[in-house]
Amino acid sequence: MTESSNEYNLLLPLIPVLLMVPALYISGMESYDAAFLIVLAPFIAFPTIIIAGQLYNGNETWKNKMKEGGIIGLAALLVSLSVSVWILIEYLAEIHHFSGHQVTSWIEWISFEVLQSDYTMSSKRVIGVGVWIDSVTLMLLFVATFLCFLICWFSLGYMNTDPINEDRNHRFYAEFVLFAMGMFGMVLADNFLWLFIFWEIMGLCSYLLIGFYFWKESAAYAAKKAFLTTRVGDVFLMVGLLILYDIYGSLEFSVIFADPSLHGAVDSDKLFWALLMMFIGAIGKSAQFPLHVWLPDAMEGPTPVSALIHAATMVNAGLYLVARMVPFVDVGHHGVAGLEDLGLIVAYIGGITAFMAASIAFVQNDIKKVLAYSTMSQLAYIFTGLGSALWFYNHGEHHAATFVFGASMFHLFNHAMAKGMLFMASGSVIHEVHHAHDHLHEGGNDHDDFDPQDMRNMGGLASKMPVTSTAMMIGSMSIIGIPLIGGFWSKEGIIAETWLAALEHEPLMIGPAILILLTAGMTGFYMSRMWFMTFAGEPKHDVVNHVHESTPWIKEPLVILAVISFLGGFLLALFGVIDYLSGEYDHLALHKPSLLEAIIYELEHAFLPKNPNLRIVGWTTILLSFIIGPIIAARVHGGKLAEGHRASPMVAWLTSLSGMFGSQDATELSQSSLSEALQNRLYFDYYYELALSKTVLPFAVFAAWFDKTVIDGIIKKVAANSVLGSFQIRRVTTGRASDYILMVAVGTLSIFVLAWGVSG
Amino acid sequence: MIDPSWIAALGVILFGIGLLGTFYHKNAIVVLMCIELMLNAANLNFVAAASHYGDVDGWVFTAIAISIAAAEVAIGLAILLSLYSTQGTISLDGARELRN
Repeated sequence: MTESSNEYNLLLPLIPVLLMVPALYISGMESYDAAFLIVLAPFIAFPTIIIAGQLYNGNETWKNKMKEGGIIGLAALLVSLSVSVWILIEYLAEIHHFSGHQVTSWIEWISFEVLQSDYTMSSKRVIGVGVWIDSVTLMLLFVATFLCFLICWFSLGYMNTDPINEDRNHRFYAEFVLFAMGMFGMVLADNFLWLFIFWEIMGLCSYLLIGFYFWKESAAYAAKKAFLTTRVGDVFLMVGLLILYDIYGSLEFSVIFADPSLHGAVDSDKLFWALLMMFIGAIGKSAQFPLHVWLPDAMEGPTPVSALIHAATMVNAGLYLVARMVPFVDVGHHGVAGLEDLGLIVAYIGGITAFMAASIAFVQNDIKKVLAYSTMSQLAYIFTGLGSALWFYNHGEHHAATFVFGASMFHLFNHAMAKGMLFMASGSVIHEVHHAHDHLHEGGNDHDDFDPQDMRNMGGLASKMPVTSTAMMIGSMSIIGIPLIGGFWSKEGIIAETWLAALEHEPLMIGPAILILLTAGMTGFYMSRMWFMTFAGEPKHDVVNHVHESTPWIKEPLVILAVISFLGGFLLALFGVIDYLSGEYDHLALHKPSLLEAIIYELEHAFLPKNPNLRIVGWTTILLSFIIGPIIAARVHGGKLAEGHRASPMVAWLTSLSGMFGSQDATELSQSSLSEALQNRLYFDYYYELALSKTVLPFAVFAAWFDKTVIDGIIKKVAANSVLGSFQIRRVTTGRASDYILMVAVGTLSIFVLAWGVSG
Repeated sequence: MIDPSWIAALGVILFGIGLLGTFYHKNAIVVLMCIELMLNAANLNFVAAASHYGDVDGWVFTAIAISIAAAEVAIGLAILLSLYSTQGTISLDGARELRN
């Protein structure tokens, strides 16, 4: 890596791209009107990278200067990022005279007439394409563009230095930007149809990228599994959208959300089923129980893909869809009758998934699998929060509803930032361990039995990788919800409001409320366990001693996201992000006359809420997640660093804590039957596969037979017979001009005769 | 003034001669002449109708048809020449390559 110091020169071509937004601003363009550029830039970059990659593959300049397409992708994503930041700034600046949402760049795509009930073609329907911008869109858009950019940056270091990817990276970058297009498009879409189209594009890219190492059987299997499992959800989503179309006659947000009085006229039973079907689609995409089985296997893909698609952006699509359901239930003071159960169902799915995923994460030894289960668990928190929000909205509890909705969206932000970073940090660990192993065993043949992702091969890395271990620590703290850091602000809000719903309004809510409270403690355990197993204790493999943190492009995103995860939560909470995200500007914390008062208000709100029940819940959460979970993890999996190794000052306190409590004795725990069940992921995969092999597989075999013999048979028979028949007809064509003229004459004559006969 | 139905009958006869000629003759030049005969039978009808109704449209049509027929003959003869140079004969029975 000696030549790496000059690598950052490659970014010079990106400077003109940075000037684009100021140029557009000076030319007098509105930021909202430029929003389509966010989708257009990656849309253009995708074929560019594919074609250039095919043309220049193996070329030195392409490999070293263009990073096999990585620079093109980075430029396109920089366009998207800068435009979305521009919109965000204008949106925030105009916040006081802005009415909720804005639709721009709307064009008509398809228009058609439909049959009325009296069979006259009179009702004209239009399907358009447009950009929808409101606070939720902007938050998710910023998360997506920002993380896409950073993770593309990270990939330049991670993908291009691995010899296994050589001459294949253009494929990675092309699919990466295509995914980015899908994500941005889904967030910006102004109707459910386009949302669905982009949703499917993301699903396709997820499939392609999980199967990036398709020659590995496990990767091909995982890609197939992810695609098919999400497809189950997608079918339900499509059915839901069709029902919705049937109800409203349109899928445009502006039509569906516009007129609350419409809701009085709609059949609320139908609406309930539409929303439930859409929610099942969301379950599939966001890997919630019972369609969660694909996400852990999806970690077969390259680590940047896990970071971007399967932690930070695509899995949020389901949450976004559920967040878009709010206008359906938020009508008047008493909500829509018949939709009461929707919030409960969402909350229960969330609670069950949170608990289940956290318990499976207890025993995973693959560092990425721990993070995958953690992702499921944290997304489930957000689902629980959204479920409570839907319930509150539908019961007219507007204040609580907006608070928990905002908290859920805020948790989405915190989780995406922290989890994107955690995956990149784990990628950094895997990358360096892999390199150290290659370095150590150059020419050796024991390549296959060493797994660079297995935490049992690590330990003590805190002394080797200061940046990565610090980033991992901060990310874990944010996920755990250590007070004052990142996810604390949002997670506390979700748990408190769910308990509020359970204690004061709806006794059935107690299920999810208890589950997510327990999960908070379990999160403390498994995240700490991961950190201790990786970074603390003595090295468990001689490879560890040769690890260096030296690959370029990898550290910068970690540092940026670590800062955001560490401070972002508190700062954004101070500026009232929770109220802002739920669209309630009235009680914005910006009203607080001074910063100090805002800080005191937020701290009081978080630690000493007025409701005594919430005070107990809040402090129980802190106790479980901050004290009990991590200490048990340190007790079981921690240990002293090896003699002579010193951790960097940022994490030294944690390694010494681990040394103080640690016994590194997990044998007893790992032999129980519960642990075995958890290691087998509670047998979900096993039974799903069993059920599929009993039902779907025989049917598929039959369908293949039917296709081959019956359908193909008919077609082949038709083809063979038409060849025979044409030989017969061929005799008529003699090739003699006079015969043809005779035919023309006879034909013309018979037409005349026919015409004469008909008219006569 | 001759009754136009006589002229129409003459047209039919000429057309029939032309049509039968195209059926029974092998010589391409004769076939071409027969086609011209059919065209002119139609022209005759046009002219007769035009003078009967006192309308110039028929004459205009005839003028156009004659000029187009001239162009057509030029092309037809060119085709026959190249047919002769490739096949050594202008008998239509020889020109059945496309059938196979």
